[in-house]
Amino acid sequence: MTAVLFATLRMTAPLILVALGGLLAQQAGMINVALEGLMLVGAFFGVLAAYYAQNPWAGVLAAVAAGGLFATLMAWAVLKLRANLIVAGLALNLLALGLTRYLLQVLFSTRGAFAPERLPGLGIVDSPFLRRIPFLGDVVLGHSPLVYLSWLLALLVAVFLKYVPEGLQLRAAGENPEAARSLGIHVDRMRALALIVSGCLAGLGGVQLSLGNLQLFFENMTNGRGFIALAAIYFGQARPGATVLACLLFGLFEAIQIRLQTRMGVPPQWPQMLPFALVIIALTLISIYRRSRKPSIRL
Amino acid sequence: MAWRGISQGLYEIGRFSATLAIALAVGAIFIQLTGREAGAAYLALLESALGSRVALADSLAAATPLILTGLATAIAFRGGVFNVGVEGSLYIGAFAAAWVGFAWPEGPAWILLPGAILAGGLAGSLWGLIPGSLKAWMDVDEIVSTIMMNYIAIAFTSYLVNYPFAVPGLANAMSPPIAPAIHLPRLLPPSQLHLGFVMALLCVLGVGVLFARTTWGFELSLHGMNPVFVRWAGIRAPRVILTAMGLSGFLGGLAGALQVLGIHYRFIANFSPGYGYDGIAIALLGRTTALGVLAGALLFGILRNGASGLELFAGIPLELVRILEAVIILLVTAESFMRWRTSKVKEA
Repeated sequence: MTAVLFATLRMTAPLILVALGGLLAQQAGMINVALEGLMLVGAFFGVLAAYYAQNPWAGVLAAVAAGGLFATLMAWAVLKLRANLIVAGLALNLLALGLTRYLLQVLFSTRGAFAPERLPGLGIVDSPFLRRIPFLGDVVLGHSPLVYLSWLLALLVAVFLKYVPEGLQLRAAGENPEAARSLGIHVDRMRALALIVSGCLAGLGGVQLSLGNLQLFFENMTNGRGFIALAAIYFGQARPGATVLACLLFGLFEAIQIRLQTRMGVPPQWPQMLPFALVIIALTLISIYRRSRKPSIRL
Repeated sequence: MAWRGISQGLYEIGRFSATLAIALAVGAIFIQLTGREAGAAYLALLESALGSRVALADSLAAATPLILTGLATAIAFRGGVFNVGVEGSLYIGAFAAAWVGFAWPEGPAWILLPGAILAGGLAGSLWGLIPGSLKAWMDVDEIVSTIMMNYIAIAFTSYLVNYPFAVPGLANAMSPPIAPAIHLPRLLPPSQLHLGFVMALLCVLGVGVLFARTTWGFELSLHGMNPVFVRWAGIRAPRVILTAMGLSGFLGGLAGALQVLGIHYRFIANFSPGYGYDGIAIALLGRTTALGVLAGALLFGILRNGASGLELFAGIPLELVRILEAVIILLVTAESFMRWRTSKVKEA
């Protein structure tokens, strides 16, 4: 039981980080379908920088910078060149997949995985004193520092959206851009910032995957986690608390996947499908609920 | 009128050339990283894509699934339905076709081959109709639901070949082979070009006629331009959405079925390198017209086939082509804002 909960927190951290980013973009009125690619870029450049600098925190910085840079490219295409948001996001996913594979082969002449011996990981946070707390100590301690950072950031994002003026402006830019504009809010600037920050957070989620949970990079290692985070955002209606809860639920699916397979013979594909199926059901229910509250006059 | 058409055509060609040039320039930077000369590399790419009859035929084979996924996406986009789920229909269709092919190894080919093709199309169609009906009747946003459906389709088909239809002794997740009698004939061996290419061309024709000459095609375009007006005009919007998603899914499923019957001869888990997503790029490149899709798919087929030659002979990773494609996609919608805009852009 403690092992499952421990693994859940571990699996949830990258999802929370990525989902927080996507949530900010969503609140600013931008569906960020590039989360998957931004996460992959973070995972790759994190490993790259940590390897060359021999310092995991250089990797974290590089991951955040790379995610932010790629998101800037997307923001530029969407807000300046007026590209379609969804198409630009999918293009970015393609770019991330192609670029990381290309560089993996050109720089390290390897296909598949890059797991050098001298790759510094993020390490774990532990305290012999707190370990004495029964149960909780075993679940909550011993994670990578970014796991704790993800909880802190979740709190910060929630406070930012609810109480900080810029957070309110960001939501206004998303909910009613015309009205926001008339109040003097720079809607496009707000949206660009939200996208860029979402790239930084997705990059952070990626590096937690490649340097925190594991210590390697392999092709397409995010494997749909960016879209699971997107599912969590929709599941949580882009609200921080509910989105984090959805991440925890989806992290639990991932944590029990191997146990279900080895102990009960449940095919791993079922828990893999579950987040995606659940979000479609949730969206349908929300839609039905909304329609039942609307007056029945329809165009 | 004629003059306007010509100037418009010239404009399209000019803009497309500029897009391609920028993509190639970005690609050149990445080629330099390998220490090779970009110009020579691009020449080698062209050589291995178009240098001989077999090379050309292989480029056409690479274009075959892309023509169909491009058409599938174009139909949905034209109707204002943002279907990102062609990839999912492709997987489901590919499995359905393979299932017909391996479940009756002794059956007569003249029933099984059309049966497998049809099963692929219908399965893809049904898959597309799930998010289609949610959109038509309950107003569930199709962008999100179709993305999610793709992941469900990939995991579900992987489950099918790993569990119920697992082949004992095979390490890779794949179905049993289909009956040799229903392999689509190869048109120019040793290239991979198969009869499916001709079927894809027929689909181009069919979709072209559908768009230009039928009432339904007109209703579809109207709905794409202004869904509210369409309702006032007495056209039932849910029906337009459902037929658009059904047809789109059918073509996606067909794309998967033809890959199984013409190339792989079995269903392989995770086999698609993103044909469905490429279809989005191709539909946009082709301005959601049938002939435009054909041109876009041929370009992507040439790039794909050429790049695999480039990797083989020059050691430049195949992934170069993904980078080129991504740049093209990014630019093609950016510029398309000048005339082609979806109602989704603003609200999304």
